[in-house]
Amino acid sequence: MIECPVCKHQEFVGTLYCSECGARLVSVSPFPTVSISRDDISEEAMVTKPTVPEGPELTSGALIGLRVLSSGDVISLLGRDNYTLGRSGKSQAIVPDADLAAFDAYDEGVSRLHAEIRVQPDIIYLVDLDSANGTLLNGNHINPQEPTPIRHGDIIQLGRMRLQLISRLRK
Amino acid sequence: MSGDKDYYSLLGVSRNATQEQIRRAYREAALRLHPDRNIDPGETEIFLDVGQAYQTLIDPEARAAYDEELLSMEEEMIEKACFRCKVLHSRRKILILDEPQVHYLLLKLRTAEHLPEIRPQINICIVIDHSTSMRGQRMDQVRSAVLTILGDLHENDSASVIAFSDRAEVIVSPDQSKDLHSARARLSLLQAGGGTEIGQGMQAGLAELERQMTTESISHLILITDGRTYGDEDLCLELASQAHDKSISINSVGIGADWNDRLLDEIASRTGGNVVFLSTPTAVTDLLHSIFDSLSQVVAANVQLAGGIGQQLDLRSAFRICPDPIPLGDSLPLSLGNLVRDGSIEVLLELVIHPITEMGALSIAHFNVSGDIFSSRIDCTDLPLAIISDITDSPDTEPPESDIVDALNKIAMYRLQEKARHEAELGQVKQAARRLENLATHLLSYGEKELAKAALNEAVRLNHTRRLSSEGEKTLKYGTRALLLPAKTGDS
Repeated sequence: MIECPVCKHQEFVGTLYCSECGARLVSVSPFPTVSISRDDISEEAMVTKPTVPEGPELTSGALIGLRVLSSGDVISLLGRDNYTLGRSGKSQAIVPDADLAAFDAYDEGVSRLHAEIRVQPDIIYLVDLDSANGTLLNGNHINPQEPTPIRHGDIIQLGRMRLQLISRLRK
Repeated sequence: MSGDKDYYSLLGVSRNATQEQIRRAYREAALRLHPDRNIDPGETEIFLDVGQAYQTLIDPEARAAYDEELLSMEEEMIEKACFRCKVLHSRRKILILDEPQVHYLLLKLRTAEHLPEIRPQINICIVIDHSTSMRGQRMDQVRSAVLTILGDLHENDSASVIAFSDRAEVIVSPDQSKDLHSARARLSLLQAGGGTEIGQGMQAGLAELERQMTTESISHLILITDGRTYGDEDLCLELASQAHDKSISINSVGIGADWNDRLLDEIASRTGGNVVFLSTPTAVTDLLHSIFDSLSQVVAANVQLAGGIGQQLDLRSAFRICPDPIPLGDSLPLSLGNLVRDGSIEVLLELVIHPITEMGALSIAHFNVSGDIFSSRIDCTDLPLAIISDITDSPDTEPPESDIVDALNKIAMYRLQEKARHEAELGQVKQAARRLENLATHLLSYGEKELAKAALNEAVRLNHTRRLSSEGEKTLKYGTRALLLPAKTGDS
């Protein structure tokens, strides 16, 4: 069985979309999840030292993530083709994929659905979703609704909040 | 080789069956078909064929020779067949695995290039619900829609109109359908009143179609209703199966929110037809027009996918993606509907592969595609389809076919909606509402603002009233299904 990274639902190997939450499972390893006991882990740790990932750290199997520059937290983006960035509100049912509410997004001028990151096999795009305060890429305003290519290390500014793109797709 | 069945399907074993499996299958078939035991006429002949099949397959040398002969014969059949099929796999190779795994197949069917261009004679029957709820605008719109269809008839076409409430009556008979003045007069006399018994209408409609049926004609029934049928669901389904046996497909049009979508879906999937949800009756003319138009372009009617799935596999679900998206049953044969000129039928199959070990290749399925071709001049043959996949012990890192991923993405949204509705019916309100919110997020990221809004509205409604609205149910069901339509695939 493989596990959905979003809702932890178990699916047969080869399943492409989670039947529970609809998340895309294409990028999930085609090998089944293997559970190993604690003893095995400590033994392994003795044999192989943990490798330092190149560049900023990304947990789990995520290919891309966002570092919140003000706090240093890293948000992993996993399991989909596109991710909405924004902040959740109390009486709002749509929660963006990357929820920045915990990082004072409101005070920083982030819209509820501010921008979107679209991941394609060899390129990543940033799209501003007609946000109130606009989106900047490396200090330059980008046009709303116009996909703009972004790369590892780029600084994305939503309102006043600054995020750095971490990507394993290094080209 | 005798008859049209090959030795393997005669014995009911797969092409890579072991000697032991062949022996067992033969013993079982022989016991059942032996002249001392069999009941039906003709079974003695089958018994003899089975014996011959066994003699051939049990001898390795004879089997190898037969396999070669079978292969070349099938190649010839593929060349001559009236259909062409492209098969896409979700993985290029199947992984050796000691647990079940899922494999998807996307079949894209077209007609062969050598088929002549002939417009089939259309044999159509429009069955109209004239129960009390149809009164007013609904009836007016349906009336004028039917008249435009009658005006489009060619000389050899045949059309009739049936109206039903708790009984059915012929409003316009095939003889009267060419005389538009009298047809208009007869339709204008049609008044709304009474209950809804769909079975009555279907029965009368099918009888009318059967009377006009010829080998050169395509028979089609259009059912227009706005209400739930009263206690005769079983009859309706039985009639749908009968219609299918006679190559009659059934399209249903549901107007408003109060009709039984599950019944009409089942009728459509049994006959290879479709169901359309109209929230207002104004679009009914365009709809009937497009149905009539596509009928006139049909090259192969009543296309069937038959055959068998390999021994290590099960069919978990089937979904027709093109032309009209609809879930099909989970057992063969599948009714795929009509194939129009320059068009295609696409079906997505979800298969579960049971644990497999090292072996040469996995025989996934042996299908047979058949259909009614409207031309007596050409020799029409079925398309045999052997689907075999290689086995590997290292996973495929290449992404799956984008067509399959794309279709599954939309089917996943459709399934979320189905699940939420099921949970709402079981009273699991919170879970259903959460699922709808989740669906809304997916829809929104897909650019479907209106549908996302509908999903959110239903989530709110669930939390307040513990129930979904029947209009919302249908909007989401047919809305998520419509995402699969080709026009929608371009703008993701």
